[in-house]
Amino acid sequence: MTKDKKILVFLVDDDALFLKSLEIDFMANTACEIKTFATGEACLKNLKDNPDVIILDYYLNGVNKHAINGLTALDRIKAANPQIPVIMLSSQDKIDVAVNCMKHQAFDYIVKSETAFLRLQKAITIIFHYQQIEKALSWYMEKM
Amino acid sequence: MENIKTKESQYARSLIEASLDPLFTISPEGKITDINNASISITEITRENLIGTDFFEYFTEPDKAREIYKQVFAEGFVADFPLTIRDGKLTDVLFNGSVYKDEHGKVIGVVVVARDITDHKRIETELLIAKEHAELATKIAEEAQSKAEEATQIAENAVISKQQFLSNMSHEIRTPMNSIIGFTKVMLKTELTEKQREYVTAIKMSGDVLTVLIDDILDLAKVDAGKMTFERKPFKMTSSLSAMIQLFEPKIKEKNLKLSNNYDSNIPLVLMGDPVRLHQILMNLVSNSVKFTLNGTITIDVDMLHQDDNEVIIEFKITDTGIGIAEDKIGHIFENFQQATNDTSRLYGGTGLGLAIAKQLTEQQGGTITIKSKLDKGTSCSVIMPFKKSKKELELESDTIEMDTDMKGTKVLVVEDIALNQLLMKTQLDDYGFECDFAGNGKVAIDKMQKNTYDIILMDLQMPEMNGFEAAEHIRYHLNSKIPIIALTADVTTADLKKCKASGMNAYISKPVDEKLLYAKIIDLLKKRIPAKEPVRSRCVDLSYLSLRTKANPELMKEMIKLYLDQTPELIGIMKQSLADNDWDSMHSAAHKMIPSFSIMGIPQEFENLTKIVQEYSGTKKHLNELPELVLQLESICLQACQELNEEYGKIKKSQG
Repeated sequence: MTKDKKILVFLVDDDALFLKSLEIDFMANTACEIKTFATGEACLKNLKDNPDVIILDYYLNGVNKHAINGLTALDRIKAANPQIPVIMLSSQDKIDVAVNCMKHQAFDYIVKSETAFLRLQKAITIIFHYQQIEKALSWYMEKM
Repeated sequence: MENIKTKESQYARSLIEASLDPLFTISPEGKITDINNASISITEITRENLIGTDFFEYFTEPDKAREIYKQVFAEGFVADFPLTIRDGKLTDVLFNGSVYKDEHGKVIGVVVVARDITDHKRIETELLIAKEHAELATKIAEEAQSKAEEATQIAENAVISKQQFLSNMSHEIRTPMNSIIGFTKVMLKTELTEKQREYVTAIKMSGDVLTVLIDDILDLAKVDAGKMTFERKPFKMTSSLSAMIQLFEPKIKEKNLKLSNNYDSNIPLVLMGDPVRLHQILMNLVSNSVKFTLNGTITIDVDMLHQDDNEVIIEFKITDTGIGIAEDKIGHIFENFQQATNDTSRLYGGTGLGLAIAKQLTEQQGGTITIKSKLDKGTSCSVIMPFKKSKKELELESDTIEMDTDMKGTKVLVVEDIALNQLLMKTQLDDYGFECDFAGNGKVAIDKMQKNTYDIILMDLQMPEMNGFEAAEHIRYHLNSKIPIIALTADVTTADLKKCKASGMNAYISKPVDEKLLYAKIIDLLKKRIPAKEPVRSRCVDLSYLSLRTKANPELMKEMIKLYLDQTPELIGIMKQSLADNDWDSMHSAAHKMIPSFSIMGIPQEFENLTKIVQEYSGTKKHLNELPELVLQLESICLQACQELNEEYGKIKKSQG
């Protein structure tokens, strides 16, 4: 990770209002570069930009019923590049939804609320902490 | 022929010279006979100066070098023998060598190749360190993760069961306490003799203390986390003490004990501290003394040990002539559920929690508690605690409530199933000059609401037939009434508070009901309501949150409003279409999507809750017949919101010029 390269975060949500408010929060409080997408399909098309983190809404087919839902998008992201950490976001505060997301290899599950942004920020910090540890580990392994 | 041979030998020579490993040929006498370029560069000595010199001289350990040399001759070869070349840097090398012979098979010398292993050695060391680090890092990561998982699990379980337990218990105790304290208060308003008044006051005081204690138990979570909070407010030490002593007077008289009370008159009248906790501490100590003393005297000494400009230090000493504590038991006396002997609880009762609580409370306020005792002679407890001095003189608390004469004749509907509590509420409301009517449960209340008009509803939560939450929801969403509703209940957990708000109630009062608080809340809600009755509809959006989020950036605010205006009518459209198509999944998704927008635009919580109900009903496919009405309500509020946001958008644009 070079210092001058900004962390690239993908925000994916078909709720334009929430998406915007999240973007505003990220712009105001972090140095991340943000790209927003209204659908999972659009996000998948842009995976070549190599996002560092993807924040994905669970309910991506709320407005357009033919759009892929969050879990499908998650699966496809993981199939394309299992290394990208994905944080799932939903207004549903349900354990089974959360567990299901984790089973599909989401990094974390966060409920949409006033504190969602803070929790996202925290989750992202943890992701980078883990990645650093993993990088150091694989560097050492290579040396061995 | 000769030419070819020369060419071959030149070729061989060039290969040897190209090698990066130093190469030497040595005569049987140990003199260097030939070398390659690598040898020159590593030893930094010219070819002329190297040839003919003694081979062993170039190593840090010439003896060892001689040894391999001998070995090569004896065995014909040597492999991977470590040596250090005595060059500028002391290069570590591995030696490989073998004898070479002439065409008759006679050994004429040795050829040795030294391989520079500096890099090998460095990598080896680094590898070792790296491996250690990696193992350490993995271990730490694994440990941290498993610890975190474990802790989360434990914490979650504990919180759930504790909350449940506390909620149940507090309800069971608060319900009867409500009657005890309520009727005591009513009795205090009747004509009483001096003695009667004193006793009834003592009942009320004990009731209040008990209520406080229940609150304490609810605070248990805080204590566990070491987060017990103490108030710091001005109070009168003398009245605090006399109220406490009064509690024990009947018991002391009954046991025919003497009570001696010595109060240091130098103690400032008003001090800063937590009178409730002080009361709790001293009550525990005095109650022990009274309990364990069969005859003799109980002495309460209050002395000021020290004072400066800001602070006083006061010692409270409670001495009795009771059964005392054996010396070897004193150490354990402050532990939870400990009494001096196992017989104690059988003979004298008690849980053994009193001293533990007293100690906790004292120490957390920066005080100390000590106990001295002699078996069969008596016990002396000393609590030393600091109090801040107060600059303010304390006003006398007045017990009279300022009556708002305008509010007389207010019609109150009390929804409460327990007759005793109904009666109590009636006495209190009569005092305020309110008219009141009763309903035994939510169903009756709804019936009555349709026949009569009321100004305010007091709603108990736990009732048969239809409970308070259901009744409030029905009133809000079916009768479409905005009548203020105050929840009354013995459950005081935050979860309930949220439920009250969610079902559309306006305020919340916990039992035992504090009459001043009740009056204040009723007046507050009624006064708020008066302007609301006017035909002007109140604004439904509040952009203060949005402005905070965007740091009042007009561009961002406009953008957000625009998004709401684009998205919301579409979602409402989907909902209406779903109604027509009986497509509940679409309805569910649309409602789901709409939920976050309410808080962003500051639209009252009740509408977000309304949307959540739509989401729930359509998700579970229950109460589907209620959905059309709910969607209609949503549409109307969203239309209003859009209209107001349009205006706001215009205003922001205008202000930008």
